[in-house]
Amino acid sequence: MNKTLLSIAVVTGLALSAQANAAVYAEFPITVKNYTGDKVSSESYGGQMARHGLHNSVKNLISKGASLDQTQAYFSGKAAGRAIINPVSKDGFPVLQTQIDELSKGKNLSGKTYKGLITGMPGGLTGLELLELMMDKAAQTDNGFDPLTGYDYTQLISKFAMGAVFYNQAVDSYLDEKLDKPNNKAYKEGTAYTGKEHVWDEAFGYFGAPAHALELTAAEVYGIAKQKPESFAKADYNGDGKVSLVNEMAYAHAYYAASFDKGGKTQYLHTIVQAFVDGRSLIASANGETLTDAQLSELMGYTDIIKTQWQRLIAEAVFKYAGSVYGDIEKLETIVEANGDAVKAYRNYAKHWGELKGFALALETGGVNLGETGVKLNRLLGYSPVLLGNTQVAALIDGEFVQSSSVSMSEYRVQMIKLQKLMIDDFGVEARNKDVTANLAQLVDSLGEALAAEND
Amino acid sequence: MMHEVLEFTQSWFSELTGLVSQGSKRVFVGYLLSAAIIAVIWLMWQRRLNFLAAVGWLCRPQTWWSNSSRSDYWLLLLNQPLMLLLSPLLLSKLVLATSIFYGLSDWVDRPLWSSDISAFWVSVLFTSSLFVVDDASRYYLHRLMHRWPVLWAFHRVHHTAESLTPFTVFRTHPVEGMLFGLRSALVQGSLIGIFVFLFGDLVTLLSLLGANIFTSVLNLLGANLRHSPVPISYGKKLEAWLISPAQHQIHHSQAPEHWNKNFGAFIAVWDRLGNTIEYGSNTQELTYGLGHQKPHEHKLLTLYWQPFKNCWRCLRRNKLEPKIAMSVISETP
Repeated sequence: MNKTLLSIAVVTGLALSAQANAAVYAEFPITVKNYTGDKVSSESYGGQMARHGLHNSVKNLISKGASLDQTQAYFSGKAAGRAIINPVSKDGFPVLQTQIDELSKGKNLSGKTYKGLITGMPGGLTGLELLELMMDKAAQTDNGFDPLTGYDYTQLISKFAMGAVFYNQAVDSYLDEKLDKPNNKAYKEGTAYTGKEHVWDEAFGYFGAPAHALELTAAEVYGIAKQKPESFAKADYNGDGKVSLVNEMAYAHAYYAASFDKGGKTQYLHTIVQAFVDGRSLIASANGETLTDAQLSELMGYTDIIKTQWQRLIAEAVFKYAGSVYGDIEKLETIVEANGDAVKAYRNYAKHWGELKGFALALETGGVNLGETGVKLNRLLGYSPVLLGNTQVAALIDGEFVQSSSVSMSEYRVQMIKLQKLMIDDFGVEARNKDVTANLAQLVDSLGEALAAEND
Repeated sequence: MMHEVLEFTQSWFSELTGLVSQGSKRVFVGYLLSAAIIAVIWLMWQRRLNFLAAVGWLCRPQTWWSNSSRSDYWLLLLNQPLMLLLSPLLLSKLVLATSIFYGLSDWVDRPLWSSDISAFWVSVLFTSSLFVVDDASRYYLHRLMHRWPVLWAFHRVHHTAESLTPFTVFRTHPVEGMLFGLRSALVQGSLIGIFVFLFGDLVTLLSLLGANIFTSVLNLLGANLRHSPVPISYGKKLEAWLISPAQHQIHHSQAPEHWNKNFGAFIAVWDRLGNTIEYGSNTQELTYGLGHQKPHEHKLLTLYWQPFKNCWRCLRRNKLEPKIAMSVISETP
């Protein structure tokens, strides 16, 4: 009797712990037949986390006015001994690794940058060529900002690279043609994971979520990316007193997903991470055999969720920054009208525009033809912010951005309204931060939407 | 299923309690109290009653517990859940405001003068426009209700009231409630869309007790007395601008010379423009209702169902043209 009770307790305990583990992207079993190494679990995405470290570092370097050599060391270089410039330990938020090589050796960003055509900027450049050009230009400015064109290269490069490297690699490569990799043999000889397991891991890594994201709220993940001391305990999942930049930190789109979700209207972070966890569990359940048609079709269901949600969350960022730019132009117009000092307002305008454009360009890198939506997006946004003299970059000639006359600033502001509407109509954004029509909803609330049968 | 029923009952209950607890509602307890104070003072001053007699006169059971008033309470109770069910069918203010905002942004340039106005004046302009346009549209719809036989069929319910209390505003057929909702959505949605297009974030509603300041001030000044037996007149000069309780009571009068008078809600100008004004008097003595009313007019089934029958009669006889509705249904207003 006692034995029976004990075995029931053990089985229940095991079932519960298996359930708990299913929420974390970790401890997936090794399914490779005849594996002889010393690994105990099969997930592996250090290369992706190294690239998050590289991206964060490039952004930090440009904003501090680093030389081209310094930034290129992180963008295209692969040399050993590169320190992680960001994220680094902060008071109350110590991180475990200090060197890129501790995350993964010999990695760069340029090798994984989208090489398709980017239509949202002039010159007919590929994603990689555009990033290279912007890196060159950034090095010629003070701290990454060019007041003549209104380009904030720190923001442009960072937000576009998040698309052209992370988003593109994940949705257009790993969750696309590379997902055809076999599951019935090791990825490479001696690895603890199969081909399918590994490409799935790599896609997950690019999203930038901590492995235990499903056990955290959006606000907590946001706090982790911001390295807030109060978020440290939440980040340090294994309780070793330091945050591992491999699986306990939040980066890039996962951070943006959390920033939208904490508003309470969306669930991008958890939906995407859940699909990654479910897909990975499904692959593991094949136990090192080729996936059946039914399993493959289920897996495609998870990739669809990830692709749709990821694209929509980038569209949310376009929506948000279109709203910021709208507000910036309103402020600029007021200051200019009053002959005030517009330097700070102009800088904010350029910063938000850089974020807006970077995310908009990222939408081009998801391996789907945006069609008319892409054309509208590019026309509404243009190649640069509209400048105070009503000019805008119109072309790239001999490596130089050339301006010509454009719509007025006031018309450009209205184009931001249309841009937000485009994101609602064509991408179905729901978080809608910085909604320029928010005041409409507030006023309706203040008057009451309720219907009452009352006579005069 | 059980859960939905419970949720629905809860929102029904909270709507009902909201009626008296929220300053945005016409029968908010504060407005009722201020109306009562005004009524007592008026009765002591005009009718020479002492305080207790004035209170006693106000609380007469023939006012508050007549067949007519009791059916008002039933309608108030039953219309609430009906309107909860019907409201999703209506045009949403927000959808309309957003469409107008986008439409204007698409086709029109924001005029330069719009950025010269300060936030305070934008709010004054918005709040007063809302009050005036809303009031004008109420006048017009009310007028149509009396002139179009198919609409009168429903509005008639309100005019079968034979004793007036502040709760008579709820003596309203749900179909009429829907029309009022549509009117309010059209007016408020359009104005919000236009103002936000012109002035962006500067637009705010000047409010008092959670409602448009003009409306709540007028409610505090005793607007609820329009449905009461207290004939407070403002005198001809002021009544040319603002509808007094006495004027609205004339609107409910059985006397033929009072038919189709004083359609206005707050502003009397529309009645002057539409030639429908009638001035009140502190000494007026009126009989309310339609005359020749049958006792079953206060029965719930009649109140809800009769309008459909009347409406069908109009449609069948092809009596659709706007004309004096009462002559069509052959009765007094």
